[in-house]
Amino acid sequence: MMKTKTMVASLFRRTFRCNPVAAIAINSQTNLPRESLQHFSSKSLTTGRLQFSGRVFCSESGGERSSGCWNCGEKSAFLFCDSCRSIQPVDDSVDYFQIFGLEKKYEIDPRSLEGKYKDWQKKLHPDLVHNKSQKERDYAAEQSAKVTEACRTLTKRLSRAMYIMKLNGINVNEEETITDPTLLMEIMELREGIAEAEDSKALNQIRSQVQEKLKQWSDSFVEAFESQRFYEAVKCIQRMTYYERACEEIVKKL
Amino acid sequence: MMLRPTAKKALLGIIASRNPTPFLVVSRLYHPNVIDHYDNPRNVGSFDKNDPNVGTGLVGAPQCGDVMKLQVKFDGSGQIIDARFKTFGCGSAIAASSVATEWVKGKSMEEVLTIKNSQIAKHLSLPPVKLHCSMLAEDAIKAAIKNYKEKQADQANGETVEA
Repeated sequence: MMKTKTMVASLFRRTFRCNPVAAIAINSQTNLPRESLQHFSSKSLTTGRLQFSGRVFCSESGGERSSGCWNCGEKSAFLFCDSCRSIQPVDDSVDYFQIFGLEKKYEIDPRSLEGKYKDWQKKLHPDLVHNKSQKERDYAAEQSAKVTEACRTLTKRLSRAMYIMKLNGINVNEEETITDPTLLMEIMELREGIAEAEDSKALNQIRSQVQEKLKQWSDSFVEAFESQRFYEAVKCIQRMTYYERACEEIVKKL
Repeated sequence: MMLRPTAKKALLGIIASRNPTPFLVVSRLYHPNVIDHYDNPRNVGSFDKNDPNVGTGLVGAPQCGDVMKLQVKFDGSGQIIDARFKTFGCGSAIAASSVATEWVKGKSMEEVLTIKNSQIAKHLSLPPVKLHCSMLAEDAIKAAIKNYKEKQADQANGETVEA
């Protein structure tokens, strides 16, 4: 626990010099690795958490800001040092695309994720480090959790879209009510249709229609995003969220 | 090292399954008011949108994919005599809209516009993560009133009322 704090503090000090805003944003992000195993007491992590919207402005490429491997000093230790086989601490400037060696764009081949995911877990998983120091076991827990979260985020179209927007400093999850009548009417009718569907055949029919729409809006998102029409991109994501919810409802009913 | 937390979790699991009301989960249960509105929802349904005495509010929370429709029916003297809602979303959203339909009945336009999301949230003891549901309900009430006012204005101008 203390080691995490010193690690965070040193990260903070380093980033604060280059970009104070990013440092604050990063600080608020490091505090809660969501999926990590309960090595840490939640008390120490939630105190002093800043209420920032999670925008990350720091554009340093990750993995190269290294002081090298903490164990043997090897320069090119990305998540894991191949020289001395020790797990590295989480570097918050490393984004999910870098972990999987992908370009930072929305269109990816989801199949490329699984192989790399398994490779990483063979090196980083906490179950493999029983013999190592507490420090390294902590690193394993965090890195492994981050890789899992990265895989999960990049696999699904919607979460990938939201993540790539976040990397560009646009936070999609604003809690604003929308009143667009056309969209809402459509969604109302869709959800009513799902609620009234009598059998799995009808439900599957609706499901394929919704997935059509998801693909269509996903394509619109790519277009809007690449043309930097971010307002439109957000609208696409909002639609995708509604269609995803509808799909979840269908799956529940089936 | 790994065994201890796992063993602890297993033990808690056993306790939870034997004990019908596991004390550990209390903070995550829905408030009885929410459960009540979920199990016995009042005023579910629809009015005719084209009825000149009906105001329809249709709002959505894009963050969680919720959609809420709230309708109010006025009598000739500016009082709300009935209300209906249809909500697709979590239990808290459903309960919030149900509460809203109860609270608007028998009130005037000006009175219902003073209904605040914080009152709904307090009534249902909503946790922070669900506060946006009560906000959505407040927005739905306002949208319904706005729609009614627009219809009244259109009528006054002699135009055909569009639903």
